[in-house]
Amino acid sequence: MSYKVTEEGEISIVHLDGEIDMDVTEKAKEVIMPLIEAKKEVHLNLKEVQYMDSSGISVLIESHQKATELGTKVILKDISKSVLKVIMMAKLEQILNLG
Amino acid sequence: MNNLAHISEQRDFVVSSSSLKDVRSFSREVFEKVNINQDLKDELVLAIAEAAQNIVKHAYQGEDTEDKMEIKISLSNGNLEIGFFDKGRPVEKDKIRHRKIDDIKPGGLGTFFIQQIMDAVVFKEGEKPWINHLILSKKIDY
Repeated sequence: MSYKVTEEGEISIVHLDGEIDMDVTEKAKEVIMPLIEAKKEVHLNLKEVQYMDSSGISVLIESHQKATELGTKVILKDISKSVLKVIMMAKLEQILNLG
Repeated sequence: MNNLAHISEQRDFVVSSSSLKDVRSFSREVFEKVNINQDLKDELVLAIAEAAQNIVKHAYQGEDTEDKMEIKISLSNGNLEIGFFDKGRPVEKDKIRHRKIDDIKPGGLGTFFIQQIMDAVVFKEGEKPWINHLILSKKIDY
């Protein structure tokens, strides 16, 4: 997994790339969580994520919950087909913010 | 792409989260030999990777080890069987729970995915030298 963070005003955009599994979830959290803790609105661009397993989905849930707790939000953008399928399999499409 | 009626392939992997990408590569290689649609292939790869992840997470509780797990993928006359063998802690079947649909929290999703994708999930005691033997099965139309 690789990533790139860009800023647009109060919004932090995290572009994730590659496969997100248990081996990289800590790295993903290290990137995303500080942005949420800084109370930024975070957009996760998932266009280039070819694979995500339950560990990756857990990162999305934790990010969403942390953001809600701190009064901000995480929005999932440009979700790849394979990631959307796993989100739907987890029945989270109504819970997470899909933008 | 071939349309093989019979496949039996197995491979060993070090029990580590860093092996999960190799588990996926192995699974993809095997399913490339079978004439099934890409969506089903992706689901089967996910189920296999989730089961392997459960071995790393639960049978070994994320501890570093040089132990290996073995994954065997067999397809015969439309009956897909995937065996997982490991030497970790014995699986306590009563403690295996997947996430409830309305329970929005991280964790338990892997088992939930496996049960959604596969027709049957069976835990057995492994024959020596193995401790655990998990069998995932599914009827495949191709």
